[in-house]
Amino acid sequence: MIGQSLPRKEDRRFVTGAGRYTDDIQLEGQAYAFFLRSPQAHALIRSIETGAARSMPGVLAVLTVDDYLAAGFGRYSHRANPPNALSPSEQQFQHPLNGYMFMQGQLPLAHGKVRHVGEAVALVVAQTHQQARDAAEAIEVDYEVLPAVVQADAAMQPDAPQLWDEAQGNLCFEERFGDQEAVQAAFCNAHHVVRREFRHSRVVNCQMEPRAALGSYDPGSGTYTLISGCQGVLRLRAGLAEALGTPAEKIRVTCPDVGGGFGPRTWLYVEQLAVVWAARHVGRAVKWTGDRSEAFVSDYQGRDAIIRAAIAFSGDGRILAIDHQWIGNVGAHTVSFTPMANGTRILSTVYDIPLTAVHVSGVMTNTVPTAPYRGAGRPEATHVMERMLDIAARELGVDRIDIRRRNLIGQAQLPYRNPMGLTYDSGDFQGNMDRALELADWNGFSSRREHARKAGRLAGIGMANYIEAPVGMGSERVEVTVLPEGLIDVIAGTQSTGQGHETTFAQVVSQLLGVPLGAVRLRTGDTDFVKIGGGSHSNRSMRLGGTLLVRACEDIVNSGRPVAAMLLDTEQPEFAQGRYWDRARKQAVDLFDVARHAAAGGLTPCTDGRAWCATAEIHTRIPAHPTGAVVCELEIDPDTGCVRIVNYTSIDDVGRPINPMIVEGQVHGALAQGLGQAFSEAYYVDSATGQVLSGSYMDYGVPRAGAVPPLRIEFTEDPTAGNPLRVKGGGESGITPATAAVFNALADAVRELTTQEPPMPATPAAVWKLIQDARDRQT
Amino acid sequence: MVKIELHVNGQAVAQSVEDHALLVDLLRGTLGLTGTHVGCDTTQCGACTVHLDGLAVKSCTVLAAQANEARVTTVEGLAPAGQLHPLQQAFIDCHALQCGFCTPGMIMAGEAFLRQGPASLDDESICRALEGNICRCTGYVNIIKAVRQAGASMARSPAHVDVQASEAGE
Repeated sequence: MIGQSLPRKEDRRFVTGAGRYTDDIQLEGQAYAFFLRSPQAHALIRSIETGAARSMPGVLAVLTVDDYLAAGFGRYSHRANPPNALSPSEQQFQHPLNGYMFMQGQLPLAHGKVRHVGEAVALVVAQTHQQARDAAEAIEVDYEVLPAVVQADAAMQPDAPQLWDEAQGNLCFEERFGDQEAVQAAFCNAHHVVRREFRHSRVVNCQMEPRAALGSYDPGSGTYTLISGCQGVLRLRAGLAEALGTPAEKIRVTCPDVGGGFGPRTWLYVEQLAVVWAARHVGRAVKWTGDRSEAFVSDYQGRDAIIRAAIAFSGDGRILAIDHQWIGNVGAHTVSFTPMANGTRILSTVYDIPLTAVHVSGVMTNTVPTAPYRGAGRPEATHVMERMLDIAARELGVDRIDIRRRNLIGQAQLPYRNPMGLTYDSGDFQGNMDRALELADWNGFSSRREHARKAGRLAGIGMANYIEAPVGMGSERVEVTVLPEGLIDVIAGTQSTGQGHETTFAQVVSQLLGVPLGAVRLRTGDTDFVKIGGGSHSNRSMRLGGTLLVRACEDIVNSGRPVAAMLLDTEQPEFAQGRYWDRARKQAVDLFDVARHAAAGGLTPCTDGRAWCATAEIHTRIPAHPTGAVVCELEIDPDTGCVRIVNYTSIDDVGRPINPMIVEGQVHGALAQGLGQAFSEAYYVDSATGQVLSGSYMDYGVPRAGAVPPLRIEFTEDPTAGNPLRVKGGGESGITPATAAVFNALADAVRELTTQEPPMPATPAAVWKLIQDARDRQT
Repeated sequence: MVKIELHVNGQAVAQSVEDHALLVDLLRGTLGLTGTHVGCDTTQCGACTVHLDGLAVKSCTVLAAQANEARVTTVEGLAPAGQLHPLQQAFIDCHALQCGFCTPGMIMAGEAFLRQGPASLDDESICRALEGNICRCTGYVNIIKAVRQAGASMARSPAHVDVQASEAGE
């Protein structure tokens, strides 16, 4: 079972249209919500006139933040400062330089001011969606428009418009890590210093299912219920409890099928809070389904970091020290600092670097807030390291592969503690790179480049080594129950948004307990039965969930032994191949035989009518470091700027894949997202007004069929001893090195024309201009 | 308001609809066929793809009134109850879906392409056929594989045709 590429159990309902997503669910008597959103990026709200809207047909309520506050409700925290990677009970950022950290409590609607285009200003509830939409158009908002700022570096300037009084200079925080003195000394004594600024573009999640939420309130029991696609029900419930001033037991959050998560769906959104509030207010269930235009101005967005990199090298190309400045664009609200935390922890990636210093800042701008998006800081860190190595190689006159060999962590150095405190327990970095180069025929490229040149095309090849440090919530729980009717019921706090947990978790349990795959049922995503759990993000689910399943299944087997012993008339029956065996290995009983007898006879573990159940919990992280190497080979048509990837080779150490087909699917999808950021995805916002210029799929280049080029994926494993299933994680492998390898290949393709950094995204227009400008300079 | 009469997955339907009502809302709302999904509001994503008299259309951009006297097939009606169309089976075999949200539209677009008996099942032809369908999870690699696999099996045993389309004389 484990390690087999089995087709997924859940697929039948999806291919026949029987999946059940939030908007598919109807509650009796439900009313419909529509949010009026700000058309301004930055403005004071002078007044909101709702009289006309209220009197329109079918309208049940028109609500503003004043109504919310008058009802006695409050703010909730996004908990933007994430748990520390090394000690999860502490926060990541603890010593802000200016002595404060700004994290604002969130209200469901704008309060006195709007700070990004799309911010929710008022909520209309009506009998039909159309009526709610029509009434919203009748709401009059008097805005006093203020200047806007959208780029993080511009927002740090002294004369920049200020978003929040409490965030001086638009800084939420700034902090330094590392030994500044030692790093400065290393730079002074270095043979060569490489410096470059990287502007990592902002991307939009574009999960296929628009966000939706269905709220209801039962006045009898005082219980709120939220049905909403998300990446973790307990986190949502905690935020709702805080905002509504209600104990968590009075709030139920359930999550049906979800059409894609990728990170931004982890957070509690204002719309989810608003529908439960509105349901209480109007006395009916309230349903909100966002449309894609709303998604482009309200779904939390990814990346958007400016990294000013500096690396000091010795004469023979050894890295002596890193000194980076990382400026993260937080957006208009303080939702998450996680990408900055993750990225700065892994700056040295797979290289043996003695000293690292980083100055990190979180800056607020008049844009949609940012949150972790697949990779969450690690792709940015990988991009910077790999580009800097290629640049250094060129400047030092060293071969690009040689410079990596000289700096890669060797296996003899494991376990290796990186300068930011992370310990890598496993990983054959040299071996992975060698294999990638071999499969990609790196050494044969120069003749392929020549061939392309004769055909008028610029060919380039680039590579990237990568390592991840999956973090995420360090708390998880599973429950395994053996039911006499022949079912194993598994409850987990993880939550799939497409990763196939119904199948992969079943594979693990099926193998451990010797039951058919179809006999294992996974239940997740309901606070009624999920007591502890972190949801799914950061590659955590199989690593933590799987580890707990191993423990729980062991307990199951042990607790069934007494009844098995009785049935087999053997003292200590051995459990092997899914059965308890008598001493002579002639007779056997399975778990369901035991369950039936125990239940019927009131025997342990089913004494007093109890279910035969085992639970396992964890309240710490299980570190693991997926790693690998990729090579990208491409050709540019200089007349059009169009780039064609000729080949992409990926060596991935995900640990032991539970279902290789599923893990490979994760690599495909993550790679497509990485290529999207590299070539076509960019969230264009007018820098003067903050107006969104790419507010739909017409203007936002999400990849279409054919985006992923000829591809070779090979899994490898340098086993981790950190968890019994040897799982590292495979959800983010494809995206972590993608832009790095692509941009190294692009830079290589234009190396005779320019050493200027190719812009991100490298659209045909941008690539064409890079080449044209270089040629103009040459003539 | 306008009265319309049509067949949806072989069932006769008679409804009075608003002039501006969309076919997708008729299907999802009035008829409770939630297999067809809405993923965007600019006709780009293809999650709403259904067959209208055998032709793949984006139901978010077709008025319900336009479906008067037509035969509409949604993903729920692609195969008789309890059975799977070869393309549905191929999606499962090839792991061509993850979150499943784009899947109905992808299958309806793919099925219309394969039913024509395309000249080629190479990457370029399949990608062009699926140009109007966005997927964020799979990177399309396995979707292309699934369409090719189903195309090959349908060519070998062409028993499967769009039941509604054949009744309409397509």
